[in-house]
Amino acid sequence: MRTLTRILAVMLACMMLTAICPAMAEETVTINFWHHYSAQSAENETLMNVLIPAFEAENPGIKVNAVSHEWAELHDKVLVSANSNALPDVARCDIAWLPEFQKMGILVALDEEMADFTDVSGQLLDSAMSTAVIGGHYYALALNTNSKIVFYNTAMLEAADVKVPTTMDEWVEAIKKLSGENANGQQVWGWNEPALAGWNICPFIWSFGGSLTNEDQTAATGYINSPATVKAIETFAELVKAGGITGFNAGDIPMTDGFGTGRYAMMLEGPWKSAELAGAYPDVAYGTAPIPAGEGGSISVLGGEDIAMFNSANKEAAWKFMQFMTSEYAETEMAKCGQIPVNKAALESETVKAADYAPFIEAIQTAKARPTVAAWSEMDNDLQVAMNAVVTGEKTAQEAMDELAAAWDLLLK
Amino acid sequence: MITKSRINRAQIMGLLLPGLLIFGMFTVYPIIRLFWMSLCDMSFSSMLIQPFAGIMNYQEVFNDSTFWTVFVNSIVYTLVTVPGQMALGLFIAILLNGIKRFSVTFRVINYLPVVTSWVIASLVFRYIFNTEGLLNYFLWKILDVTSGNIRWLNTRWSGLSVAMILGIWKGIGWNMVIFLAALQQVPQDLYEAAEIDGCGAWKKFVNVTLPAIRGTILFALIELTIGGFNVFTSIKMITGGKPAHQTDTLLTWMYYKAFSTGKFGYAAALSFVMALSLGLLAIVQFRMMRNKDA
Amino acid sequence: MKSKNAAKIRAAVVRYLLLALGTVIFTLPMIYMISTSLRPNGALYEYPPRFFPKWEALTLENYDYILHQSKFYLNFLNSVIASVSTIALAAAVGSAMAFVLGKFKSKGTNLLFAFIIITMIIPGTTMIVPQFELATKLGMVNKLWGLIPFYVAWVIPFSTFMIKGFMENIPGEIMEAAWIDGADVWTVYAKIALPLASPAIASVSIFNFLTAWEEYPWANTVINDNSKRTLPIAIAGFFGQHQFTQWGYVFAMSVLTLIPVVLIFILCQKFFVQGLTAGSVKG
Repeated sequence: MRTLTRILAVMLACMMLTAICPAMAEETVTINFWHHYSAQSAENETLMNVLIPAFEAENPGIKVNAVSHEWAELHDKVLVSANSNALPDVARCDIAWLPEFQKMGILVALDEEMADFTDVSGQLLDSAMSTAVIGGHYYALALNTNSKIVFYNTAMLEAADVKVPTTMDEWVEAIKKLSGENANGQQVWGWNEPALAGWNICPFIWSFGGSLTNEDQTAATGYINSPATVKAIETFAELVKAGGITGFNAGDIPMTDGFGTGRYAMMLEGPWKSAELAGAYPDVAYGTAPIPAGEGGSISVLGGEDIAMFNSANKEAAWKFMQFMTSEYAETEMAKCGQIPVNKAALESETVKAADYAPFIEAIQTAKARPTVAAWSEMDNDLQVAMNAVVTGEKTAQEAMDELAAAWDLLLK
Repeated sequence: MITKSRINRAQIMGLLLPGLLIFGMFTVYPIIRLFWMSLCDMSFSSMLIQPFAGIMNYQEVFNDSTFWTVFVNSIVYTLVTVPGQMALGLFIAILLNGIKRFSVTFRVINYLPVVTSWVIASLVFRYIFNTEGLLNYFLWKILDVTSGNIRWLNTRWSGLSVAMILGIWKGIGWNMVIFLAALQQVPQDLYEAAEIDGCGAWKKFVNVTLPAIRGTILFALIELTIGGFNVFTSIKMITGGKPAHQTDTLLTWMYYKAFSTGKFGYAAALSFVMALSLGLLAIVQFRMMRNKDA
Repeated sequence: MKSKNAAKIRAAVVRYLLLALGTVIFTLPMIYMISTSLRPNGALYEYPPRFFPKWEALTLENYDYILHQSKFYLNFLNSVIASVSTIALAAAVGSAMAFVLGKFKSKGTNLLFAFIIITMIIPGTTMIVPQFELATKLGMVNKLWGLIPFYVAWVIPFSTFMIKGFMENIPGEIMEAAWIDGADVWTVYAKIALPLASPAIASVSIFNFLTAWEEYPWANTVINDNSKRTLPIAIAGFFGQHQFTQWGYVFAMSVLTLIPVVLIFILCQKFFVQGLTAGSVKG
C-alpha cells in the first residue's frame, strides 16, 4: 500500500511539472504548424532538422511545434478542430481544401490583415498564388506546386517490347501487354492507381475530353455524365476488370513497394516519388513521360499546397513563419526532396535546375485544377463510391455517373 | 444504526461524490447530450447555432442505404463472432478441465491474444491477410488448396471475414477462462449420476454441463454482444471501410460521418439507435435465458 | 478394465494434441510479428515469402530506428502516465463507491448501483461525439491529462461492480466491532474495508491498465501533437503514411509496446483469473 502511495505521489509530481513547464516558458511564443509531410519522409527530415532550427535561430522568442498528420486526416482534423478552438496557427493545406476552409470562416484574409502582403506575394508565382484567391481576397501563400506524370519501369517495358505510350489507345494496349505473370508466377499489373478519388481519376477524364462540371462550377449534369467522361470511366474500369490496373484495394501492394519490386510497370505520380524511390528502392531503373494524350489532350491534375493562417493564430509570429517557409532559402531546401518551389528566386537556383523538374513543370502548363468549390471533399467522396460501383461491375459507368451528376448538382447549388 | 449520525452520513456522501461526479460528468451527461444532439441540426458550418430539427436526423439515418449496409455488417459480425468465440472458448475450457499437466501454461498462452492491443493485432492480421501475404502463399503454393491469391481485404464479405477471424482469435481466451471457472464449479456427483444412467460424453455435456453453466453463458452472451457492436479499431485498421464503406460497421460509419463530414446530428442519431437496440437485445437475451429456467 | 484405461489415455492424447494445435494458432501471428520486426524493410516483399527471415538477414535496425529516431520514449511515457493515473484514480473512486454501495444498502444505493450497471450496455465509442464536444468545452482537447477523466469514467462501472462483490463478503462482525469502538465511516473504509478488498482492487486495476494502455479511438480523436500521442496512436501513425508502410518499424514498435503488457499478465496471472471469474460466475 505504501509503495503504491509513493508511486502515486511521484506520478502526480511528474504531471504537475509537465503542466508547469510551458507556463514558465511564457516568454517565448509557440506556433503550431500542421502539415502532411509524412513522418518518415525526406521532407519531414528537412523540416525538422534544417528549416525549423534555422527559423528559430533567426527569430528568437518563437518556437515552432510541427505536427505531422496523414493527408486525409489533416483535412478532418482541421474541420473538427475548428469547432473545438483547437486549430493550429498555420497549416500546409492541399489547394483543393481552401474553398471549404474559407467558407467555414476560419482563414485569415492575408491581403487585408498584413501590410506587407504584396511584397511577400510578389516573390511567388502568380499562377500559384491564384490558388489562394477566393472571392477577391488572398487566404494563403502558395507553398509548392506539382502535377503527376507517368513513371515506368524501363526493364519491364523492354521485356514486354512495349514503347512508352503517348496516346490513350497505346496506353490501353501497353497495360494489357504488361499485365500477367512474372518469372516467379506472381501477378504483375501494367498500371497502379492507389485510390479512386478525383486526384486519381481526373487526369483520365480530362485527357479523354470529359469534364466534371461546367465552367462556372454550378452544375454537373451533362459534364460528369457526358459521353467523353463515361468513356474514360469505362476504359479505366475495363482495365481494372481485366487485371491491368490495381492498387486502390486495401489488400494491394502499396504503390512504391509494388513499383520498386517490379509488380507494377507504370504509375502516375508526382515529383516527390523520385526521392522516395531513391531511398527505398535505389536499384529500380525507371523513366518518366507525360500522361498519354486522348481526345482532350495530355492533361494531368494540378496539385500543390498552400500555407494558410487560421484566425485564432498568433498572427505576427505565424506571418513570420509563413514568410520563412515561402522564402528562397526554405523553398530551395525543400526542392532537394521533391517539392517544386513557387518562389521565383528559388526556381532560378542551381539546386532546382539540377533537380530536373522540367517534365513536371511542363505537365503543370496543361494541368487542370480539381473543382475549386467548398463542397469538393463531399463530391470527392461521392466520386469514390461511384467509381467503386463501376470497377466492381455493380453499376455501368453510365448509371453510376448519372447518379453522381444528380448528387453533385445538389451539392453545387 | 450507524447511518443515523450526521457526520457519518456526510462521510458516506463524501465517499460517493468523487465517483459520482466523474461518472455523471463524463458518462451520464454525454448520454443525455447524445439524445439531445440527435434532435438538432448540427454540421461543421452550424456548430455554434444548433437549431432543433426533430426527427430529421433519424429520418436521414433510416433513409440512408449505407446505414443499412453497415447495420447488416455489424449484425453479421456479432452473429458470427459471438457464438464462434463462445463455442471455441468452451471447447478449450472442456479440454483444459480434463487434463492435469500444463493446464496453467496452456491457459496463459491461450489468453495472450486477449491482452494484445487491438491496434497491434489488427495490423498483424492485415499483414498476414494482404493479397501478397504469407497466408495466401501458404494456401496456394504450399497447401495447394487455392488456385491463386485470395483478395481477402478487397471485398465486403472477405474483408469482414478477416475482422471476424481476428475477433474470434482475440476473444477465445476470455471465454476459455470464464467457462473454465464455471466448469470447475459443476458438482462432480451430477456427472457420476449421469454416468450411472448410461449417458455418453455428448449427453453428459447437453444434460449436465450446459444447464449448470447457464448463468455464465448468459453473462458471456450479453458482454460479447456489446463487444460485437463495439467493433471499431479492427475495421479501421484492416480495411478502413474499403471498398466504398462496404466493410464499415455501425461505429466506424458513425465516426466517419461525425469526424470526416461533420454530420454530428446524424452521428448522434445513429449512436442512439444503436444504444437502444443493444438495450432491447440485452433484455431479450436475459428473458430467453430466464424463461428456460422455469 | 484395460480397455477403459487405454480409452482414457487415448482421450488425454487427443486433448493434448488439440490444445497444442490451439497454441500454434494463438501464437503464430505473434511469432510472425516478431520475425517481421527482425528483418530489413526491403525484404518485406521478397519471394517466396518466409515465415522466418534468413539467419544472415536478421537485423535489429528497426529497433535501432524506433529507439533512436522516433519519439518512442515520449509515447511510452505518455502511455504510462495515462494508464497509471487511470488505475490510481479508478481504484480510489471505485473502491469508495463500492464500499458505500456494498455496505450501506438502501433503496437509494440499490437504485444507483442498478443505474451504473445499466450504462455498461452502451458501448463506449457510441458516446464519442458528445464526449468530444464536452472535452472541447472543458479545454481538454490535445492534452494528455484530458484523457484520464474519460478513461476513469469508462472503467468506473466495471470497477465498482467487481469491488462491490468483494466488499459485500467482508463479515459484518468486523465492522460492527469498529462501530462500537466509535470509528467513523472513513476510518472503517480506510482501515478495514480497503485492506480487505485489496485483492479485488488489484485485479480490477490490471484490467483498467489494459483498457487505458491500448485505448485507440478516443486518444486518436483528441490528441494532435506527436509528443502527446500514446503508443497505440503512435503505432497507427507509422502505418500507411504515403504509399508505403514500413512494416518493420510498425512491428518493432508493437513488440516493444507488448512487452510490458505480457510481463504484467504473466506475473499477475492469478489476479487476472480471479477478476474475470468473480464477475461471471455470479452472472
